Amino acid sequence: MTARTVTHATFVIEREYAHPPAKVFAAYADPKQKSKWFGGPPEWNSTHTLHFRIGGKEVSSGGSPGGVVHKMSGEYWDIIENERIVMSYELHLDATRISVSLGTTQFEASGKGTKLVYTEQGAYLDGYDDAGQREHGTRILLGQLETFLNT
Amino acid sequence: MTALTHATIVMERTYGAAPARVFKAWSDLDARKRWSAPADNIRIEYEAADFREGGRDVSRCIEPGNVDYIAVVNYIDIKHDQRIVFAEDVSHGDTRVSAALIGVELDAAGEGTRLLLTMQIAAFDGSEMEKGYQFGWNAALDNLAKEFSQ
Repeated sequence: MTARTVTHATFVIEREYAHPPAKVFAAYADPKQKSKWFGGPPEWNSTHTLHFRIGGKEVSSGGSPGGVVHKMSGEYWDIIENERIVMSYELHLDATRISVSLGTTQFEASGKGTKLVYTEQGAYLDGYDDAGQREHGTRILLGQLETFLNT
Repeated sequence: MTALTHATIVMERTYGAAPARVFKAWSDLDARKRWSAPADNIRIEYEAADFREGGRDVSRCIEPGNVDYIAVVNYIDIKHDQRIVFAEDVSHGDTRVSAALIGVELDAAGEGTRLLLTMQIAAFDGSEMEKGYQFGWNAALDNLAKEFSQ
């Protein structure tokens, strides 16, 4: 019997963006925009599909040529335009499921910009990943979002 | 900003039955209907049930005098006799009140089973669903013990 472990952990990331909530929200809601910032390094072979509605699915898959495929599969549970997005997602490395997470993103006007609060409640499975690594990866994505918004 | 309350609740029980039997009490719909209702005057009715990875349950929690709670469960990870991980969304009437990620871990403990239930909850807009989870699952896990005393 394989040893099965589950590590539950929560992390919170707050970011300020110099753009109004409607613009930041659109970068999540519009598939064309989200594909530009949400994903792995440019050298990966990546695919992304997004159905941004309650009950809709998102799949982002990619990896270096010939390497391990990272696949994120998510579903949207709650959406309030310009204010809140709630989704669950699982992450696979090739065929192995390494985590299941509940992610909430909140958008709040802050001066002329937006304060974004992302909270991830995760279940990290069988020791493949942990909250520290996931937070690190998520901070990179939120940095890519900033680069996208500024260009 | 709309209000979200994030909470994590952990419950632990030890049952006098092997992990395979405890797992079956989750996977078997008739068994689950018996033990998951948190009080005698509350009943659970299923509109859909599909216990497998990628499967979905839709259930209605019916209490006289209260608007029904409707729970949608997506089963994400199932390891037979060992682990169940699912995401759950709850509506109260037409209002979405929470989303949660729930993990159930089963470990052999002597001839019995140690069950660890971890609920990571995002409660919406002051719904206080974290308290509902505390009440509901505490009662359900106590009920579950009765499945093994027959």
